Amino acid sequence: MWLSSVFLKTLRDYRIPILGWGIGMGLVVVSPMASVASLVTTPEARQQLASLAASFAWNADPVAVTTIGGYATFKIGIFIFLITVWPILAGSRMLRGEEERGSLDVLLSVPRPRLRVALEKLAAMWTALLAMGLLIGLVAFAGGRTFGGDFGLGDALLFGLDLALIGAVLGGLALLISQFTQERGPAAGATAGLLLVFIILDMFHRIAPNSEWISRLSPIYYYNLSKGLIPSYGVNAGAMVLLAVLAIGLGGIAVWLFNRRDVGGTVPLPRWLRLPERQASRVLPVGDWSLRSVYARSLRTIAMPAFWWTLGIAGFAGWMVYAVQLLETKMSTLLSGNAGFTQLIKNIGGGDASLNAGLLSAMFVFLPLFLMAFAVTQVNGWSADEQDGRLDLVLATPQPRLSVLLGRFAALASATIAISVVTLLVCAWVAVAAGLHLDWGNLAAAILGTIPLGLLVAGIGYLASGWLRSAADTGLLSFLLAFWFFVSFIGPELNLPDVTLRLSPFYYYGSPLLNGLQLTSILGIIAVGAVALALGAVRFVRKDIGV
Amino acid sequence: MTAMIEVQGLTKNYGSKRGISDVSFQVEEGHVFGFLGPNGAGKTTTIRLLMALLKPDAGSARIAGLDCWEKSVEIKRLIGYVPGEPALDPNLTGGQILEYFAHLRGGVDQAYLKQLVERFELDTSRKFRQYSTGNKRKVVLIQAFMHRPRLLILDEPTSGLDPLNQQEFDRMVFEARNEGRTVFLSSHVLSEVEKTCATVGIIRDGSLVRIGDVAEVKAIKRYEVTITFANPVPAEAFKTVDGVIEVETLNHGHGVRLTMQGPADAVIKAAAHYPVVSLTSYEPSLEDIFLRYYEEDGPRATEAHHVA
Repeated sequence: MWLSSVFLKTLRDYRIPILGWGIGMGLVVVSPMASVASLVTTPEARQQLASLAASFAWNADPVAVTTIGGYATFKIGIFIFLITVWPILAGSRMLRGEEERGSLDVLLSVPRPRLRVALEKLAAMWTALLAMGLLIGLVAFAGGRTFGGDFGLGDALLFGLDLALIGAVLGGLALLISQFTQERGPAAGATAGLLLVFIILDMFHRIAPNSEWISRLSPIYYYNLSKGLIPSYGVNAGAMVLLAVLAIGLGGIAVWLFNRRDVGGTVPLPRWLRLPERQASRVLPVGDWSLRSVYARSLRTIAMPAFWWTLGIAGFAGWMVYAVQLLETKMSTLLSGNAGFTQLIKNIGGGDASLNAGLLSAMFVFLPLFLMAFAVTQVNGWSADEQDGRLDLVLATPQPRLSVLLGRFAALASATIAISVVTLLVCAWVAVAAGLHLDWGNLAAAILGTIPLGLLVAGIGYLASGWLRSAADTGLLSFLLAFWFFVSFIGPELNLPDVTLRLSPFYYYGSPLLNGLQLTSILGIIAVGAVALALGAVRFVRKDIGV
Repeated sequence: MTAMIEVQGLTKNYGSKRGISDVSFQVEEGHVFGFLGPNGAGKTTTIRLLMALLKPDAGSARIAGLDCWEKSVEIKRLIGYVPGEPALDPNLTGGQILEYFAHLRGGVDQAYLKQLVERFELDTSRKFRQYSTGNKRKVVLIQAFMHRPRLLILDEPTSGLDPLNQQEFDRMVFEARNEGRTVFLSSHVLSEVEKTCATVGIIRDGSLVRIGDVAEVKAIKRYEVTITFANPVPAEAFKTVDGVIEVETLNHGHGVRLTMQGPADAVIKAAAHYPVVSLTSYEPSLEDIFLRYYEEDGPRATEAHHVA
């Protein structure tokens, strides 16, 4: 039955992501619910939580944060990035990925219109997203029942539907962009970049006054207009319809373009946008520096992804520094009439380094996570190269295996350091330009201290690639990242024991913006990373390649 | 004459998948050795063991007297390698790939490299992913020959090449042999090996079943001839003809399909007695030969083991 149509076959391919993503994301939504009861035991605690949430309004609207649904909605604000990973990957792979593999040629050789094939695939992605939304809604409802939430099943399902709709918009965008790229990777990367822009645009109206018109340019803004888990707030039917129209429009345009272009080609650009015709040549690039060694080649390969990651990470960090300054100005205005806050007002406006560091520290928790995610993508490249046979010819040259592995690792380490240094420079420049006082030593420690975390992930990834195939290696690292993040940032609210908290490297990273780096902790992370890399190198030197 | 490749009792298991078992052979320096076998017989596993991409479970493989696993870096200085399924960075141009591998090999004669590029008429400015299958193969062949290695290990090297470039490749193999270099060429096409190799080894189900001169192996080669006649012809007319092993009547006696071994002269003369409409000859694949020769003739297969 599942192989009787393109729609059902595609849906069958999505069965594991539907279950994994649906239940996994559902648990991400439920996890903050567990801690609300302990956070609002007294009216004072309730007031404190509301105040705290207000100071993090840049992240998400602090609506009814003292309720189960409100707190969960507020906490998962930034996780929209995580939730939309799957639709972005699925959208970019849907047609372009199959074209890259050559499997679309076979599929289109059957007597079935190309338009129908594309529409069935698109419909399968939407169905998968709806199924994920349903699962997320059901898990959220179950969580709400367990922890005493005041929202019903219908509310939870509307919450899941809202997630499915924003996923469909981003999946449709990735599908559309993939009509203009030769490979799926750049389409996914460009969509992820746009998502970052959308998130930042959405943040504007929560930080800067009179900037709602800017946020309206972002689909994330319309997603956030619905808060299904907060019955008193409800959903915005107009916003949901708009998201649905946007998803259908983007997907429809993408399919229309696909139907008109060459399979394996891209949508023809206007003549004035096309690159000049390439002439055949037999010239050899004798002087190209990037071809001189495995390290140089790896550095050149990693340069472009590193550039985009730098743009994202440094841009995010710089924006956070600026956001703190804006936030403090806003708080200063709000509190200026209250005599009790006189001293606090004195500190607000960027003048007090420890207050600034306190606010910024909470936002900077994502920096090491992003750098570690970058390392995961690069380790994926290493294990995929071995799996796909791209290392065979390199290892057929008189290069020791150890040199090949260390060359690749050194390039990754160089890129990681470069991303961190640029991020530091951007943050310092923004802080100076905005007049925000920070402890420069601690700022450097907070940003450069992420380097060992990135390299730790790389070391573990290289070690695991000795046994695991590319997808499993990436899956393991992604799971570790999610687990560490969960343990360090949600674990304390669940009162997890200290011994569990110590399993996460974030524990050892600490809060360097406030307290500086603990040298022994960082040395410990470096040591674990080095041991993992050394074991990975030993394994790689001895293993069968490509088996 | 010294042995360039010495393989003794080489064994590799992949668990449930088939590997190779107790493979032994030698290739003398300056020889062109054909390594024949059907798909999945163990050719690529043997080659990957020689290239130290796999570690043997038992036995040894030596190249120029050096253990392939222990001295992998040293032996790779001597080798030019074409993998069965070449995979390279899809975003590099052909020229970048050749220069990259030239550097990894410690530098090559650029004039000779340019000569090879000209010979294969390779457009070096295209990205690897944009090349056709044949052009991808050209890039990999050039990188294998560009440093004039003492030993060429080529795993199905002409797969995807057009006939003109196959001829160019044959010439390069002859030149290598004439310069005293050794070539280890794997293939599943018997006629390809016949053209270039003096000695062949045949591997099947992970075991070496035969090593010998090309002439010896030719003796096992069977082919089919289909003759269509204007009028019905009795099958008996061909059953006793020299070289005919099996006769099958087609189209109510208007044609015959003959399974043959050896020269076709006697069959042509026998067919000439009748009005012939068409005659086609078909060379069976190596798999067909193995199926018929080794599975139907169990005792002969056993007898055939390692006659060299």
